[in-house]
Amino acid sequence: MRATSRREFLRAASGATAGVASWLALGKAPAFAQKRELTFLSWNHFVPVSDDELRRQAEAFGKLASCEVRVDTIAHLQMPAKIAAEAQSQSGHDMYRTAGADTFLYEHLHANVDDVVEKLGKQYGGWYPFSAEMAKTKSGWKAVPWFWISFPATYNMAHFKKAGLETPKTWDELLKSGRILKRQGNPVGIAISHCADAHSTFWSVAWSYGAKVIEADGKTPAINSDRTAQVIEWYKELYRDAMEPEVLSWDDASNNRCILAGKCSWIHNPISPYNAALANKMPIADEINHHNSPAGPAGTHSAPPILGLGVWKFSKNVELAKEFIQFLFRKENFDAWIVASNAFNHPPLKNLADHPIWARNPKFAMLPKEAEFAHPRGWPAKPSDAVQRIDDNYILADMVAKAVNGMPTKRAMEWAEQQVALALKGQLKVG
Amino acid sequence: MAVGPRALEVTGLHVPGRLARAREWWEQEHVFGYGLIVPALLLLTCLVAYPFGMAIYFSLSDYWVGSPGGFVGLANYRDILANDVFRQTIQNSFVFTGIALTLKTVLGVWLALLLARDMRFKRLIRGAVLLPWVIPTALSTLGWWWMFDSLYSVVNWTAIRLGILSPPGPNWLGQSAYAMAAVITVNVWRGLPFFAITVLVSIPREFHEAAEVDGAGPWGRFWHVTLPLLRPVLAVVILFSTIFTFSDFNIVYVLTRGGPVNMTHLFATLAYQIGLNGGNLGQGAAISLFLFPLLGAVVFLQLRYIRKE
Repeated sequence: MRATSRREFLRAASGATAGVASWLALGKAPAFAQKRELTFLSWNHFVPVSDDELRRQAEAFGKLASCEVRVDTIAHLQMPAKIAAEAQSQSGHDMYRTAGADTFLYEHLHANVDDVVEKLGKQYGGWYPFSAEMAKTKSGWKAVPWFWISFPATYNMAHFKKAGLETPKTWDELLKSGRILKRQGNPVGIAISHCADAHSTFWSVAWSYGAKVIEADGKTPAINSDRTAQVIEWYKELYRDAMEPEVLSWDDASNNRCILAGKCSWIHNPISPYNAALANKMPIADEINHHNSPAGPAGTHSAPPILGLGVWKFSKNVELAKEFIQFLFRKENFDAWIVASNAFNHPPLKNLADHPIWARNPKFAMLPKEAEFAHPRGWPAKPSDAVQRIDDNYILADMVAKAVNGMPTKRAMEWAEQQVALALKGQLKVG
Repeated sequence: MAVGPRALEVTGLHVPGRLARAREWWEQEHVFGYGLIVPALLLLTCLVAYPFGMAIYFSLSDYWVGSPGGFVGLANYRDILANDVFRQTIQNSFVFTGIALTLKTVLGVWLALLLARDMRFKRLIRGAVLLPWVIPTALSTLGWWWMFDSLYSVVNWTAIRLGILSPPGPNWLGQSAYAMAAVITVNVWRGLPFFAITVLVSIPREFHEAAEVDGAGPWGRFWHVTLPLLRPVLAVVILFSTIFTFSDFNIVYVLTRGGPVNMTHLFATLAYQIGLNGGNLGQGAAISLFLFPLLGAVVFLQLRYIRKE
């Protein structure tokens, strides 16, 4: 190899430095490829085949629209930070998978998609209200609701049979059965940690006991109440008598592993463990079943994850992105995608929800019913950036974790109330 | 007699063109010297000074992701100090760094002394010792995460089979003391080779023989000969390690994400949580800059000490 002379090195180095400097000065990355490319940031789906199908459809759309569609997927817990970085630098992907109230958090940075939403709504019999609420801001539709994930109970039939127990209809029954199941070596598994499942369950339990985090006006914290105290006491007893301390360290996959390993008897979770057991031909698939989320004194309520498709305003491909979204919503494509996820992806549009996949499998038959008592997080308040910050900062999970670790219930609620108040002011402080 | 360009042309000599003059200018010592360091300076400015300046600006303003805010002075610092999670993080950071650094120093010197001995497969063993330092942290920590998993912990399984622990064994990542022990263990495991290998190359040999002749035992040789001679190197290694340990991110992020109940959050992980996940860039920056004055003082004192040595 020819050695580089000092001069050549200097020339190259100063060229590179100048390049970096001008890149910084221009505030955007250099365009390496000139071919039209649509980029889409999504999550690693809990049913991986679903992502394969998404990529297949992306490729098909690329051929139709003579462009490249790049689908990048990352771990779901890394999404908030990645999206924040893109919002901050005003560069990155053209569109991304929104979760919860991301749409409100970045309302001013999202392109309007009213035309697409209205067209699809008319075409498929209208949107489920709870999914529509997550995408409609004061300044219009800022995302297209993409799918929602039913959040039922997932349980091990053999464990319940051995203990001679019926599946719990209420959270209180779960506590009572949980005590017996834990003694049998099969604890209940509800995460009390920094993960998404911890929230999905908390909102659901809280609503079932009539507790709220925010008043319907969307401005007043409502978490410090007797109802919330009841919820926390329930969590404390469940943690002590029916669960193991491991739930404090859990991520969103831990409860799946716990039930798949044959240890946990009951988890509050989507159907992903069952699908994973089927995909990997695990014998435990026969034992796993689902039932609707339990009720409380104030009825049954569910806080399913609701995902959307948001297009960044700074994208140069807004129109192309909108076309791609409509392509994903073609009946044959959406159906194929539901099938790929094995009933995990629920359509936000009523007529697409008719898919036979749910009725066909008795273990899935009750899943669409979850839509009847689903609300967006924050309910009875409308979704807002504050609600998203409450979730992103794990205020509710931390409140419960503090209480089960010995902080008096009243103090834990006061702490959470203070955090919620700050979130509402748009000034969420540490913690 | 002055010779004009015309005359030079007649004699057939080259007229110094513009290029040649530029070259002459460039090759002057004061120009060329600075020219050499300009690329490095530019890189430092772009990659270190600029982000650092931005961080200071963020920490003094009410800056949220995607929406710049006004100047708020030290309000962010006051707010984080008033918060119990941040105060917990300060405590965690000092416990984490204090214990990890002590273990790394003691074990590192010990390991270095062991490696300094003549033995078979010396090179192979030394190479193997470096492995934890070479593997990308995120990757190796994933391995540890699996070893500490509540359900499949190989650590617990082994200890229970050997009769050291009674089942089910500790819940490594779910109980605060164990979780702290877990992150410290991984940090020590990862940082040890850096200590051991750096110390190893500076272990003085020639003095040992002299000391041995004078009748010094192994402990005396270590205490009176090895340690004093190692001190400057140790000071530098400890300085670097203090900074690395305080600012650790990967290990905590992968193992515990700051949990359980924020008991293992360090400055970097909390700053990430608040600044990016929570969207409050101002406070995130304030958290990450909080230790800067303290670390700056440590660096200053240690460097002065090293220079004196």
